[in-house]
Amino acid sequence: MLSAFRKDLLPLAELAQSFAAKELVKKVEEHDRYPFGKFFDNVLDKAYDVGFLGVMLPEDMGGIGGGIGALCVILQAVCRADASLGGIIFANALSQQILRAAGADKTARRIFPKAASARDLLVACPAYIDPSQVSALPREARSGKDYVLSGTMELVVLGSLAQRALIPARIGTCGPYSFFLVDLKAKGVSRSEPVFTLGLHACPAVDITLDTVKAQLIGEAGKGREYFTPASRAMHIAAAAMNAGIMKGSLTEALAYAKERQQGGCEIINWSEVSMLLATMGIKSHVAELCVAQACQAFEADPRRWGLHGLAAALHVHELACEAVTDGIQVLGGNGYMKDYGQEKRYRDARQVQALLGTAPLKKIGLTRELSGLEEACAYAL
Amino acid sequence: MLSRSEVLAWLAQYPKFEDTILSLPYAPRMPRAMVKETQEVIAVARRFNREVARKLALPLDRKTHEDHDYMPWDLVEEANRWGFYTMWIPKLFGGKGYNMPSMSHFVEEVGSVCLGIANVIGVHYLGVAGVISSGNVRLSRRIMADVAEGERTGRPCLIALAITEPTAGTDVEEVELEDKGKVTCHARRVEGGYIVNGTKVFISMGHMSTWTILFAFTDLKKPSESSVAFMVKTGMKGFSLGTHENKMGQRACPASVLTFEECFIPDELVVFDADMARKITNKPLRDVNQRYIDYVVSATRPGVCAFGTGAARGAYEAALRYASTTQVNGRLLINNEWVQCLLAEMYKNVALGRLAYMEANYANSHRGMYQMLQVKPLYYYYKYMPESYFTNVVGSLLEKEYMSTLMGRVNFDWARSSDQNCCSGWGSLAKFAGTDIGVRNCQMALELMGASGLRQDAGVEKILRDAKLLQIYEGTNQLNRLNLFKCLIAPAVAQAKCFEE
Repeated sequence: MLSAFRKDLLPLAELAQSFAAKELVKKVEEHDRYPFGKFFDNVLDKAYDVGFLGVMLPEDMGGIGGGIGALCVILQAVCRADASLGGIIFANALSQQILRAAGADKTARRIFPKAASARDLLVACPAYIDPSQVSALPREARSGKDYVLSGTMELVVLGSLAQRALIPARIGTCGPYSFFLVDLKAKGVSRSEPVFTLGLHACPAVDITLDTVKAQLIGEAGKGREYFTPASRAMHIAAAAMNAGIMKGSLTEALAYAKERQQGGCEIINWSEVSMLLATMGIKSHVAELCVAQACQAFEADPRRWGLHGLAAALHVHELACEAVTDGIQVLGGNGYMKDYGQEKRYRDARQVQALLGTAPLKKIGLTRELSGLEEACAYAL
Repeated sequence: MLSRSEVLAWLAQYPKFEDTILSLPYAPRMPRAMVKETQEVIAVARRFNREVARKLALPLDRKTHEDHDYMPWDLVEEANRWGFYTMWIPKLFGGKGYNMPSMSHFVEEVGSVCLGIANVIGVHYLGVAGVISSGNVRLSRRIMADVAEGERTGRPCLIALAITEPTAGTDVEEVELEDKGKVTCHARRVEGGYIVNGTKVFISMGHMSTWTILFAFTDLKKPSESSVAFMVKTGMKGFSLGTHENKMGQRACPASVLTFEECFIPDELVVFDADMARKITNKPLRDVNQRYIDYVVSATRPGVCAFGTGAARGAYEAALRYASTTQVNGRLLINNEWVQCLLAEMYKNVALGRLAYMEANYANSHRGMYQMLQVKPLYYYYKYMPESYFTNVVGSLLEKEYMSTLMGRVNFDWARSSDQNCCSGWGSLAKFAGTDIGVRNCQMALELMGASGLRQDAGVEKILRDAKLLQIYEGTNQLNRLNLFKCLIAPAVAQAKCFEE
């Protein structure tokens, strides 16, 4: 939908759609077997080749210099087919956005333009948390001029693939935190096997344990939240785009099945209760697309003014998605519950995407706290 | 204020008192010993959870992801050692004779730890219900004797039920749809029995059961009037097990594909067919078949509600543990009012699910399949007479053909249609209410727990995967809503038509 309003995004949307059709659609179940099956390295390499791993990076950093709209059209198309690759693109973009928000351009230039492969380019991060909501972050300490980190960071996305990770750490158990870049091959770093999770199976996450590991401070000490918040404002919309894509995939499969499957002597789409289920899914899917499109437009126009609206849109889209994909299985009945179809994966993936960037209730609590400030800003703007 | 006849007249108006408030009149009629018996069942389930289910649930789920062909034989043998496969078989048929409603509490308990493990035990009783509700006492005793023998020898003998077909799921649960649907499992009458051809899918525990109660049709264009139920034994010529499904959840409990190719089934293994029906009732075969379906699903759907309640409870308990041990900004989550309200909402869902299956079980106990077992004098008679009495004295009596005829008449000829509607309608109400709250609580737990809830080793994501199946099997929740309408709403609306869209 976004590309219908933004003609400049049309080539990117078409590229993502054809990529998904060619590389993902027919192998969704095979890719989803990870971590008990093979990882789809070839698909990751191709995603790197076409630039999906550096959408929002400036061209002088090796990216394609797109905005949040560009990232969202790619994520929507990819996640409609297989959200696992979307998760990889998302987590990597989040790391890039945090680095940029921290003004660590020098570090970014050291990493991204010189990357010779997808794995070289990836920067892992704990994409399922808002670090300010988590008490048990790794501890930071000074060792002369250097910083060293100790402790465990759970569910570091891309941690099994990347050579480096962006890890939040703090001095105590609460209060300000900082971001650090950690070389995952450094002494004192141990990585678990990929964690078996609800969804996004082929977007691997690992638990990383650090034992006095030397790490590079990103930006200034204690200002992690100041970097995470603006980065996450954009990435909330990106997560919503992922779920909008998942919903669209679910709706498409449900409609196709309902037109074929017969029950009681006719195609089930003709049973009004099934038709009502499909209509409800369709409403949610279309509302989600509109939310994402409008959130992108608004954010690109003025991120400071519309960032919170983007978060609100994302929270709404995630709720819609979790409901719609549940109905998506229901339309297919027993078949929808089996891995031979795509619906059960979408049921899992939508919840996994909802959990990106922190828990939904705490995001809502945070939203309430910001609302009064926002009211003032809006009044001023008007 | 009102005479008794006036009171009865008011209560007979829609919504009828007898169909809407079941526990009030029926709870006092319940034998008191049922309470202690149910308490014992819950205690046994909790002990089983601690000693077996909790240790197995997550590793078993992981194991089936690593190796799709893995079959949980060890678990089945363990459940067999605990005596669970005869626990709710009536003493008349050689079981331990625990009261049937107590099984709902059992599956809620075990289901709160693992729905897959609960189904490895519970779905056996779908087969048991399918056999016993036929009224075929002779064959019921034979099959149940095999189950009891399996318990004694340590070689589990389970019963599966096969009705769903590749092109007919919802259709085969409702005679109004059967004739319009595409059933394909055909039974041809031959000398001394039937020959069956066709395929059944999504058959829970098909690969692990010794006996399967199979439904086929002599006339594929008129299945509503030509249904035949058979007992088939795994290994019989012409009966083969295909693959088993790659499901999202409940992976401890395999769902099988069964194939029948020119499979000869002798008369002695026919559970129910048109000839038997004509001996016991003059009612149309279509009504008899619906009655048979209703007997089974009225008994099993409250059980599925209990599974849903178990899922809701497992999710609630996981959320409670997380909130009690997790700090955000130096404060335990559980000390936030929004978390307390969320937990209260989840607790309420569990309580309402439990009330729903208990109401449905009151219907079955006093107006449905269990009524011959729950009437006080009969209940105590079954409970306190020794097993040897049923084996040696009653057993030979039950082998007589007239006993099957009598049971058939009780089940299919004498039963009131208003009772059938009450049991079936409440079974459906419980089924979709309990399973919807199961999924709802899982969603709430996941939202609260965020990243922690996503990990398989944390347990809660598995409940979400497991719970979704509950909204589909034993009739989709959509079918169950339509059945509630048919049974509890449409009788009061003359112009209402069901399944005629």
